[in-house]
Amino acid sequence: MSTPALELKGLTKTFGGLRAVDGVSFEVPAGGLSALIGPNGSGKTTLFNLITNLYRADAGEVRLFGAAIADAGDWRIAASGVVRTFQTARVFPGMTAIENVLAGAHRHVRAGAWQQMLWLSRARQEEHALALQAEALLELVGLAQFRDTAATDLPMGAQKLLEVVRALMAKPRLLLLDEPAAGLNDGETAELALLLRAVRDSGVTLLVVEHNMSLVMGVADEVIVLDAGAIVARGSPSEIQRNPRVIEAYIGQAEGAR
Amino acid sequence: MSAGTQAAVQIVIGGLLQGSLFALVALGFALVFRMTGVINLSQGAFCVLGALVCYSLEETLHLPVPLAILGSVLAALLLGLALGAAVFVPALSRLPNSSMLMLTAGLLTFIQGLMLVFWGGDPYALRPLWGEAPVQVLGVRVPSQGFWIAGTAALVIAGFWYLFARTTLGKALQASAENPTAARLMGIDVERMAAMSFGLAATIGALGGIMVAPILAVQFDTSQFFTISGFISVAIGGMGSFVGAVVGGLVLGVAEQLAAGYISGLFSGALALGLLLVTLLWRPTGLFAIGAARRSDVREELHVHPAIVRLRGRGAAALGVAALAVILVLPLLVRDPGLMGSLVITGILFIGVLGLDVLMGFAGQVSLGQGGFMAIGGYVAAILATTYGWPPLAGIAIGCAASLVCALLLSLATMRLRGHYLALATLAFGLVVDSLDVGMMQTTGGPSGLVGIPSLEIAGVSFATDRSMYYLVVGIIVVLVLALIGGTRSAFGRAMMAIRADRLAAGALGINVARIKLAAFAISAVLASLAGSLYAFYFHYLSPEMVGTQRSFEMITMLVIGGEGTLVGPLLGVALLTLLPTLVQSLALYKILAEGLLLVLAFSFLPEGMFGGLARLVARLRERRAPALASGLEAPS
Repeated sequence: MSTPALELKGLTKTFGGLRAVDGVSFEVPAGGLSALIGPNGSGKTTLFNLITNLYRADAGEVRLFGAAIADAGDWRIAASGVVRTFQTARVFPGMTAIENVLAGAHRHVRAGAWQQMLWLSRARQEEHALALQAEALLELVGLAQFRDTAATDLPMGAQKLLEVVRALMAKPRLLLLDEPAAGLNDGETAELALLLRAVRDSGVTLLVVEHNMSLVMGVADEVIVLDAGAIVARGSPSEIQRNPRVIEAYIGQAEGAR
Repeated sequence: MSAGTQAAVQIVIGGLLQGSLFALVALGFALVFRMTGVINLSQGAFCVLGALVCYSLEETLHLPVPLAILGSVLAALLLGLALGAAVFVPALSRLPNSSMLMLTAGLLTFIQGLMLVFWGGDPYALRPLWGEAPVQVLGVRVPSQGFWIAGTAALVIAGFWYLFARTTLGKALQASAENPTAARLMGIDVERMAAMSFGLAATIGALGGIMVAPILAVQFDTSQFFTISGFISVAIGGMGSFVGAVVGGLVLGVAEQLAAGYISGLFSGALALGLLLVTLLWRPTGLFAIGAARRSDVREELHVHPAIVRLRGRGAAALGVAALAVILVLPLLVRDPGLMGSLVITGILFIGVLGLDVLMGFAGQVSLGQGGFMAIGGYVAAILATTYGWPPLAGIAIGCAASLVCALLLSLATMRLRGHYLALATLAFGLVVDSLDVGMMQTTGGPSGLVGIPSLEIAGVSFATDRSMYYLVVGIIVVLVLALIGGTRSAFGRAMMAIRADRLAAGALGINVARIKLAAFAISAVLASLAGSLYAFYFHYLSPEMVGTQRSFEMITMLVIGGEGTLVGPLLGVALLTLLPTLVQSLALYKILAEGLLLVLAFSFLPEGMFGGLARLVARLRERRAPALASGLEAPS
């Protein structure tokens, strides 16, 4: 078996007395699309923050493509091909939509700042090629007409999509999406599902935290259910839907609320 | 006691007295920081203001001393409350932290300007409350005023404790600091609490200033010294910790006096900076950490961000060419030599402000020490040219290299720290350079300045006339602007803007935040250095106040009122502040006041600056005429 894209071993993180993540172990196979679900406060975002080293784990370890990440800074994680989005869309204010997407390409730009300062044609050409790629991505999610709009002026759904596209521009090997469908309407969610499948089919591994069950059940190869910081179930979407513990911990609760 | 021990005790006592003042200023810092997450640079100005008002009440109005003290403390309280409620608090919800820092720099400049207008540039000393005769305690001479200073400090500290531990107001203040949202839900007027903390901090500062003025003469720009000492104290003690503020103040006071007593008074500033950097490296949270400064984290989440308006496309290029044509023709139209000189100065200062724009407008980092890098560039090039006969170009290069090294050191030392430690390290750095300029008489000529600097000469071509210098500077600016336009419309530029907007999200995309910040800081330092060198060669003379901390603040004002993040916009700010005092000579006295006021007003009413305002106007006119043509302009929100 090939090295998994992401491997967690006994990962633990406590905040004060609260065990936000409690001995979590799982792996995401390369090329897979795994979904992480669980009620609010079950530790999903904390897990993302541990994987990208925004938090330091109290115990356990994270391996990305077989390599331990301990002590690597946030940009080093991204530079190794692991890119994340945030729960609340964190587009860059003060920058246009296309500038936001282009910022995602940062780790692939070859021309240095001094080459740009000298207006070398190679550097300008690279910049032009990147702009074309960014435009194509904006087109793909239907944001082409907002190319030069300030990112923060876009509606929330568009900002979420913009953030996903920005992450794609970084050409990740492993893409971590934190609630990409939050704030999206049904039509946009359906488009997102298509996009996620297409991304997976292009060879990118995905781990998605999501509350929208129809999206999760429609796209995920495997679903991992987290409750109170620990894994309560793992399996294919259809297995998870039938799992009584999951229904109790998560789905039942959600349906009961409706 | 031996004579040596006695001298040491004497010095330590002096240090504790000075430290008591620092502690009071630091308490004000800690209070405002805890309430709002903002480092209030105007803190030190209230010390001087308190002392000066007290002086006038005593000497001019002949009020009895207790009444004079009461009156001046009240004056500081009222001004503090007014500025807090009208300027500081409303800005909290609109400006990002870096701009808040500059806003308080604007308030500092504004109050300093006020004091310059009313009291002039002379130092003032108050009469000691118990007369001149020092008191002998166990063979050590203590100035009688020392008891007042120590007593006041003790009283204020006790008052602080009582306020927070025993009163409802104290609880409300604390609740607003710990969790503004929850406090608001509990019916606490968080904004009023913030304004009140600002006023309270001003009052404490004024009280400290009044008490120390009998043994330490103050003038309008002593404010900067108080501000930076108070800040260093609070950074050593732990940002936001009241106990830390007091301990930090005393430690700094004693350390400075020991350095002055045993090494040289010259290096007490450098020692303070060194102490700050060592503390921050060894223990970034300070001696008494209060945990994470929550409000400051919350504010970062806010992502408040000023609008940046940039012109793009063919229209922008055409405008640029037109502007350049005007700039090239200008010397042919100007007959007045004074005005011609001001045009050259405008160009030279603009080079330094360009660097500041890269650092602040793009990367969102604040530098309060741009004048310090100008001083390095100026003095290094000038000294090499006059004393050692080096060719000017070589001197300029060495100056730039020296500035680069200083920038790298400052940046590396503060890199791991969040918040605005770099900004404050640059302020401390600028003040150290100031004191070295003044103190190293042999090499720099001291306060009276360095004379006999030759004209700039490059490859046999001399730039001795105003006009030749003007065209040289314009040429340099054109090259720099083109390079920076290219450099900012690239991955580097986007990375800087991304860091300014959201450091965390930038890192998550693989942007090496520290490296980009370092590069931006290096660019700003080198451009300031270049400007400083040109300045020296142009004037044939260089004095400390030409490239001092006041200059650093002035350059920030120029940048902000011109338009941050637009590269060419700041030229408007530089021209306004340089040409106006030349055109209207009588305004010179009001220059500092106007700079402070303009900076504060710009943040309140025109955060995108003059350039942004103009661009917006152009956009509106274009839209009215032909909506389709307006696409060359982008105007976020």
